[in-house]
Amino acid sequence: MENLELAGTTSTPSVRFQSESGLLELNGESYPENSFDFYKPLLDWVREFLETSTVAVRFKIGLTYMNTSSIKSMMDLLDLLEDAHGAGREVTVTWYYDEENDRALEMAEEFREEVTLPFFVLPNPTA
Amino acid sequence: MSVNLFSLRERLGEAGALIAFSGSFSHSLIEELGLAVRKYLESESVQRTAMMDVFSVYVEASQNVRNYTALKLKEAELSISASSIIVIAKRDEHYEVNAGNMVEHEDVADLRARLEELRALDKAGLKVLYKEQLRKDRSPDSHGAGLGLIDMARRSSAPLEFEFSPVSERYSFFSLRVIV
Repeated sequence: MENLELAGTTSTPSVRFQSESGLLELNGESYPENSFDFYKPLLDWVREFLETSTVAVRFKIGLTYMNTSSIKSMMDLLDLLEDAHGAGREVTVTWYYDEENDRALEMAEEFREEVTLPFFVLPNPTA
Repeated sequence: MSVNLFSLRERLGEAGALIAFSGSFSHSLIEELGLAVRKYLESESVQRTAMMDVFSVYVEASQNVRNYTALKLKEAELSISASSIIVIAKRDEHYEVNAGNMVEHEDVADLRARLEELRALDKAGLKVLYKEQLRKDRSPDSHGAGLGLIDMARRSSAPLEFEFSPVSERYSFFSLRVIV
């Protein structure tokens, strides 16, 4: 299946979802005009990827800002991965947070509380 | 109207306004003003956490205004969304985000009840409510996730302040103040 690659904009993150390696990356900021519309193709891609491949999934998130409707969509994305993990798929999530923003770690931890899959929270090396 | 804008500027100054916009909100406008807010706060050497709190409250407040006026009032006259306003201000060492827009009378009771609920909760209670809302299904007629007001309340250093002023048979003007 084809990779999903989108360049970032002021209010949308860059997307790099690679089917062969199982590496999924989101970087930048996320407060699109309509988060549901923005994330729908990402969710569709991940759903198909999980169904058609058995490659281990590594999801790397380096988002320095998310609005609440993006947070909701991220939860949907993590739920897909959580279900796959529950069904035996190898999945790891690594969340890189902005160390200078106290709230960023809190947000990452709140996502981690919602899932049981391996979820690592690390300071962003580039921040 | 007089061409002299000085008195308008003075009133904004009295309110501590750093950035103010009144008119119809578009996504690109929200982006541009948001970048301007961040640039300003950076130039003031505001700590990153505080800066992102102000920015975040600004994004949630302005997207709420835009979503409400664009979706809920899509059939209404242009003047309804054109009367939206956002004012980012600094008063007594605190930053405030003030947002205002027309709401239909029939929506006032629900909105008031939600705001009163948020005002009554402490930070722990707000987190519980946030998590509950995060797990609820999206309302099909909304762009949002119903999390915006809760998130604003979590980032604010004082309870959310609000007021409804009746303006016509159909509309009230909703004013919201979030103190970061």
